[in-house]
Amino acid sequence: MMLLDRLGTFFEIVFHLASAPASLAILFGSVLLGIIFGAMPGLTSTLGVALLTALTYGMDTDLAMVCLLAIYVGGTYGGSYSAILINIPGTAAAAATALDGYPLACKGEGGRAIGLTTTASAIGTIISMVFVVSISPIISHFALQFTSFEFFLLAFFGILISGTLTSPDLVIKGWIAGFIGLFLACVGRDLLQFYPRFTFGLTELDSGVEVVPVLIGAFGIPQIIQVLKDRFQIGEAQKIQRILPEFGTIARNIPAIIRSALIGVGIGAVPGIGEDIAGWVSYGTAKNTSKHPETFGKGEMQGVLASETANNACVGGAQIPLLTLGIPGSPPAAMLLGALMLHGVTPGPMITFEHPTFIMEVAAILLLASCAMWIVGILLAKQVVKVLRIPPQLFMPIIGVLCIIGSYSLGLNIFNLYLMLPVGIVCYFLTEMGYPIAPLVIGVILGPMADENLRRALMVSQGSFLPVFQRPVSLMLFLIIVWTVVSQFQWYRTFKNRMIDVLLRRKN
Amino acid sequence: MMEKEKLRKADIFSGGIIFLFGLWIVSQALKMPMKDSWGGVQNVWFVSPALFPLFVGAMIMLLGALLIRIAFREVGSKELKRVLRWLVSPDVTRFLKTAPLLRFYAIVVLFFSFVYLNIPRIDFFLCSVLFLVVFISMFYFDDDTLLKKMFFFYLAGTILFVLLMASGLLAALTSVLHYPSDWFTFVFIIGYCLYVWTLIRDNPALRIKFKTSLILSVATPFLIGPIFKYLLLVPMPKEGLVVVLMDAIRYWEF
Repeated sequence: MMLLDRLGTFFEIVFHLASAPASLAILFGSVLLGIIFGAMPGLTSTLGVALLTALTYGMDTDLAMVCLLAIYVGGTYGGSYSAILINIPGTAAAAATALDGYPLACKGEGGRAIGLTTTASAIGTIISMVFVVSISPIISHFALQFTSFEFFLLAFFGILISGTLTSPDLVIKGWIAGFIGLFLACVGRDLLQFYPRFTFGLTELDSGVEVVPVLIGAFGIPQIIQVLKDRFQIGEAQKIQRILPEFGTIARNIPAIIRSALIGVGIGAVPGIGEDIAGWVSYGTAKNTSKHPETFGKGEMQGVLASETANNACVGGAQIPLLTLGIPGSPPAAMLLGALMLHGVTPGPMITFEHPTFIMEVAAILLLASCAMWIVGILLAKQVVKVLRIPPQLFMPIIGVLCIIGSYSLGLNIFNLYLMLPVGIVCYFLTEMGYPIAPLVIGVILGPMADENLRRALMVSQGSFLPVFQRPVSLMLFLIIVWTVVSQFQWYRTFKNRMIDVLLRRKN
Repeated sequence: MMEKEKLRKADIFSGGIIFLFGLWIVSQALKMPMKDSWGGVQNVWFVSPALFPLFVGAMIMLLGALLIRIAFREVGSKELKRVLRWLVSPDVTRFLKTAPLLRFYAIVVLFFSFVYLNIPRIDFFLCSVLFLVVFISMFYFDDDTLLKKMFFFYLAGTILFVLLMASGLLAALTSVLHYPSDWFTFVFIIGYCLYVWTLIRDNPALRIKFKTSLILSVATPFLIGPIFKYLLLVPMPKEGLVVVLMDAIRYWEF
């Protein structure tokens, strides 16, 4: 009965959103904008969500979510256009798509590849939406049992795992980035005693660093500098033919699509890991399980389907920890969290009580966004790819102005700009030296949660850490954290290999 | 991102900076009340505002030290000495003058002057047009020699603006001229455009590019600005010459 009630509510929300002309216009407009952002190399869906956050400030929460989720879905899918047609992924999420997408385009099958990725991306998003609806309330209910120690460990785990998996160089750099983010979160008056920390006497810093300008700076400014400093050039795009959804090919690949979607949802649900990792893992799995792995990298349609389904399924997956625990599953989800906070919605275990239909709303928006993405993708792809002809030297300065006005308009505070720019420059240097930005951002967002819960937990236990080992969830989280850290060291790997050798010898 | 070998060498220095940063956090955290009374509340260590910064600072120090250790083991003392010798050699000056770094300086100077100097003092529309016209033309022409000339022209204008402001001349002009900073910017934009025109007048391809840059530079602020100001009701950071004119048009105040 409860399930039927929830289904009823879900379709009611879908109908309500789909029947309102304003929300439909925003939905299609945002999806199109997202696809353009995703398709243009140098622009990312995270930046798209960041810039649009400022524009949604005056909207209702529902409409703002339609706008932001639609640009997120569109942006993640849009990266495939440039990956397929010019061999440059528009977003990191589409990096794996380029491996087989571009050879397909060179063979004259670019239109077919885009048609297939459009349908696969829509299916991926819809499957992830099913998981948002079914799993989120369960996790949310389970999370109500969490105490402060669990929340502290969860936040800490989110930062560590994000640092571990997103670091392009040494894992240690990912952790450093996460701790720098935690430091930024310390700035301002502390939440329990109102003591000013690292404010340098500036009253503007008393309320801490504003999350959204920091995120805009961290993702926008390094991108602008990198593209313009290194004279990034867009190559000649391959010709595009008729774009058809090819339902027959999709039907033949349904098991592979479902597997990729599950990988996407699973990776999306891990805090702080983005669509790019989902795409790569899914591509690797498709290659390893294929009967003809030698065809991968030479224009294999399954490779394109695997990465595109997974990266779009990651969008829904990233909403699960965001909605239930307040921990963003990916960098664009971190931006969404910032936007939700601006609208007075605090995601976390209490969301089912404070906003009973909110999870359903998110799921309904995901469903509508995937439909809108499919329609726009099939009908307008040929027109959208024309944006690939615009040189980045023309649009990057405009993005700079948008970053600035966007940061300022959130709070109408010039101090946000004074903060955004140094953060952006520091993030540029960090990126150049192989430090990932995602853990830093996750650190800024989860820092207050970690700080407050650690001290609250210690207050309850009167300074004792014993409850960590007495409560099953916190013990499990603690052991995972220890394993995540220890497994990165050489001595652990040597020890593990020796143990395996000993066990094998004993077995023989 | 740099190549792996260069990255490891840089890691020794970045690790050092990170270690020192962690040390600074710890030193600042130690100044926070640990067991003293704050706001009438007697503190205990586990509720102290210093607890979390101490943990974060200590972790940053530890990770910075680990990074130095990893990098040093890969690079070796011989290579490190070579890097240190390079740092005091004239090669550094040559490196700092390379084209990619010049582009980097141009971007950073543009952003810093826009955010810290222009936005708080000049009408938002005018300073956005200036920012865009300089930024787009410098990079869209794809010519480092031209970029250098345009960058120095912009830098000279910025220095002149700072001097005028510091000498109090702009403030003194207010009694005879409304919005003197905005007029100065307006004249500078025209001056910059004329200067660029003289640089590229013999090159038809660049002339077309310059026209595109100009159109985009003027159209963008006049498209984005009204959306924020009149649709989202966001007052501009500084409302001057152009905003007053736009308000007059918007509200028919003639």
